[in-house]
Amino acid sequence: MFAFSEQAEKEIEKILNKYPEKHKQSALLPLLTLTQRQEGHVSPDAMREIARRLDVSPAYVQSVASFYTMYTLGDTPVGKYTILFCINISCQLNGCDELLDYTAKKLNIQVGETTADKKFTLRREECLAACTGGPMMRVNDTYHENITPARIDQILDSLK
Amino acid sequence: MADNEVTLTIDDQTITVPKGTKVVDAAKTVGIEIPVFCYHEKLGSLGCCRMCLVEVEKMPKLMTACTMDVGPDMVVKTTTERVEKAQKGVLEFTLLNHPLDCPVCDKGGECPLQNNTFKYGPGDTRMDFQRANNLKAAPLSPVITLDRERCIACQRCTRYSEVIEQDRALVMLNRGFHNEVGTFNNEPYDTRFSGNVIDICPVGALTNTQFRFKARTWDLTNSDTLCAHCGCNCNMTLGVRTNKFMRIESRPNDYVDDGWICDKARWGYDFLESKNRIMEARTTLDGASKTLPVKDAAAQAANALKKIADEHGPGSIGFIGSPYGTNEELYLYQKLFRQQLGTNNIDHKVYAETPGLPIPHYDVSEIETSDLVLVIASDPTEELPILDLRIKKVVTRGNAKLAVLNDQSTLMDRYAHLSLRYDIGAAAQVFAALANTLAGEKGEVQDTGITGEQLNSLMDMLKSSKKTTIIYNPAALTGQSVDVLKHLLSEIGKISSMECGAIPAAPYTNAVGALDMGVLPNYYPGGVPLADAEAVKQQSGENSPLEAGLSAMEMIEKANSGELKALLVHRANPVVDFPGSKKIADALKKLDLLIVHDMLETETSQLAGIVLPSNGPGHDDGTTTNIGGRVQFRKGGLKTTNAPDWKIISMMAKTLGDETDYITSFSVTDEIAKMVPGYGDISKKSIKKMGLARTAAQYQNGTKPDSAKSQPAKSDGLKLRIASYLFAHDKILDADSRLAHQFKPSTVHLHEDDAKKLGLKNGDDVIVVSGDTQVRAEVEISGKCNPGGVVLPRISDEQGVLGLAGADGISSVEIRKA
Repeated sequence: MFAFSEQAEKEIEKILNKYPEKHKQSALLPLLTLTQRQEGHVSPDAMREIARRLDVSPAYVQSVASFYTMYTLGDTPVGKYTILFCINISCQLNGCDELLDYTAKKLNIQVGETTADKKFTLRREECLAACTGGPMMRVNDTYHENITPARIDQILDSLK
Repeated sequence: MADNEVTLTIDDQTITVPKGTKVVDAAKTVGIEIPVFCYHEKLGSLGCCRMCLVEVEKMPKLMTACTMDVGPDMVVKTTTERVEKAQKGVLEFTLLNHPLDCPVCDKGGECPLQNNTFKYGPGDTRMDFQRANNLKAAPLSPVITLDRERCIACQRCTRYSEVIEQDRALVMLNRGFHNEVGTFNNEPYDTRFSGNVIDICPVGALTNTQFRFKARTWDLTNSDTLCAHCGCNCNMTLGVRTNKFMRIESRPNDYVDDGWICDKARWGYDFLESKNRIMEARTTLDGASKTLPVKDAAAQAANALKKIADEHGPGSIGFIGSPYGTNEELYLYQKLFRQQLGTNNIDHKVYAETPGLPIPHYDVSEIETSDLVLVIASDPTEELPILDLRIKKVVTRGNAKLAVLNDQSTLMDRYAHLSLRYDIGAAAQVFAALANTLAGEKGEVQDTGITGEQLNSLMDMLKSSKKTTIIYNPAALTGQSVDVLKHLLSEIGKISSMECGAIPAAPYTNAVGALDMGVLPNYYPGGVPLADAEAVKQQSGENSPLEAGLSAMEMIEKANSGELKALLVHRANPVVDFPGSKKIADALKKLDLLIVHDMLETETSQLAGIVLPSNGPGHDDGTTTNIGGRVQFRKGGLKTTNAPDWKIISMMAKTLGDETDYITSFSVTDEIAKMVPGYGDISKKSIKKMGLARTAAQYQNGTKPDSAKSQPAKSDGLKLRIASYLFAHDKILDADSRLAHQFKPSTVHLHEDDAKKLGLKNGDDVIVVSGDTQVRAEVEISGKCNPGGVVLPRISDEQGVLGLAGADGISSVEIRKA
């Protein structure tokens, strides 16, 4: 069964206060984000719970959650660090595909998978609005721009 | 030109249309077709498919005609080279991944994508890549199959779920290229109205599982007919091939259904091929049961009734008709019993309701222009689903307020601006209090579960409204509370600042028609009361019986005491559907003669001495009157050699000397038009397309209720409210029905306080007891009713809940652990 942590409950109260009661479904994205942070994934149970709180249908929650790549739907948590490679035009022209392959080989996983030690999850991502610094990758909430194989080594090695 | 109209030019034609009309609809009015996929007039604009691009002068880019309101002096062109190029481009794009399986696709022949491609599309594709492959036949629910390859992501179905059903069960999942229709966690999409997505799907993506690969659409013989399952009388098209039932589709009639039908209308017709059908007449009068020609059986039945009437007096025979019968059947039966057999022992119901209303009888479409909808004791969602859609529509689009006055919570509460819940059994007292307050007297609401303040807020809503529609369910009102309600209606009618009307929403197909046709012990057709002997004689002749007849429940009582000797039951199943089930069977067994005229074998037909077959909906023609008083024609569709019901009744009448020859069901309709006040304008022609509202019968009963008398009786047990459920497991939806996924378990809803007292928790298995009747149920502590009451939905024939009810519908029950 899914339940929000005590910390998350406090956050939720703050978030819901921002919106008029009639429009509380506006809190959908923040609540999904809280869930993703807490669990490392968004399970059907969690979606049902969010739907109940915001008075929308669970299907609607899934519809929104599945639109965004930052949520991992399903029952499997992601690794401690989620590495997202932008694969849109600017990054692509600057060679993100090779860098993605490089990272996958280095971590010894396929794109979309999580390492055996549950440390890294590697995924493709649509535009992350950092086109000036392409190619780029995002590790959890941190943007790394103008990356090279050497920078990738350095960044990954620095993560504990 | 009025202020609210706009004049514009489309393809050199100048037209004037109301402000706010979309260009695509404006074009339609002069016969110019602008192709669409995502746009549907009931769903409104979206503009995602880009099929409706048109050129508008002074606008640099092509515009989507479905999202653009008409503007003054706008010049629209729909056939320029630019538009044609855009249409070709959009179609080529739409068809990128669409499979070319039209020859085996169920939509073939009636497919907007196929049609638009022929008319506007490119002859070929420039795409060299492999087409994307996807699931070809995924069950979206037990009755709908989804072909993901054919879907063009127009979002009609998901918007239907959002805008019309308003429960967002069907949504678009994922993004971009991966965008697809789906439900939460792949659960089945099994709402009450799910089938409509099949009709609005502009491609062959959502298909009717029942109809898959059964027939080509152009080989079908389509009959425009009505649904026979509830009082909405939704319009639908019955598709038949080689006299075999194939499928049902919706057929829009804005006065009735707004273009939608519920799933029972679409898939509730398995009874047509039920092995439980009564196909032959049979009799046990000469000893062992044997079949005989219908004509002989009808003659035998008529003679036997006549013989008993002659021997024991006309008061010794009776007729129980059905609110599911057509006007023609009901009219002929009451005529047979009154004119040939001389009795007024005629009834069709076990609740108190009289013809006529003290305020106008509103058509269902009047709801759309109301600014207050007051729902009393009715649960449209479970009883009359299409009415539920209409109420939701006006309430959520901001045009109207909704007030609910009920003894059980319903899904309507979610949309209500004011929702009052009175105690079970306190209806009369609440209505009286409200009426008294309106009349400027003191309204007592003590011990009713609602407060004076709540009553006042309802009063305020009524007084600030300009037009109010009141929807009430007489079948849910026990005892004589419906009389008090009518008094309340007349008080509401006196509010001078407001127009108002009522819709008597009994859930049965032709409940209004049954009242109008005089299938009542104390009223002749058209609401002419027995008391008005002059009017009766003028209407029905000098020999019309004037002695008050017995109501249905009184007939059962007299059968039990032996005073009633013979009973004819048409399309009804008293043993299960009347209060006191087992007692009913015992009483019926005491009759000298029980004749049952029905479509399917029932507990009652098993007891009958003579059984006459009834073809019923799907086969027989006839008219029915819906809850809004609209008379429409229900065409048979399937052919049969068996005599229709009206003919069998006519055979009986002829046996007893009647000389009228009816050629078709319309011959009877014509007689109804002549004989029944209010039905004068009804004819084959006048009801052809949209039906026609009949004039409501005059309201007779003006008695002011006595507040003190309407106090609910005090008792120890919990007061029982039996709730209706349209998708119940009964004779129509039997175990083989494809709607079996809608069947529910027997559940008793308790208030938290009572549950605590009884030491019960959610999910407990209990027995609900009243007298010697026991009904098994599972406990749900739901706050569905106030403390002191229980709500028990009637979910199947087998469950036997009516056994718990008293003759007047009121009863107290005990709950024991199983």
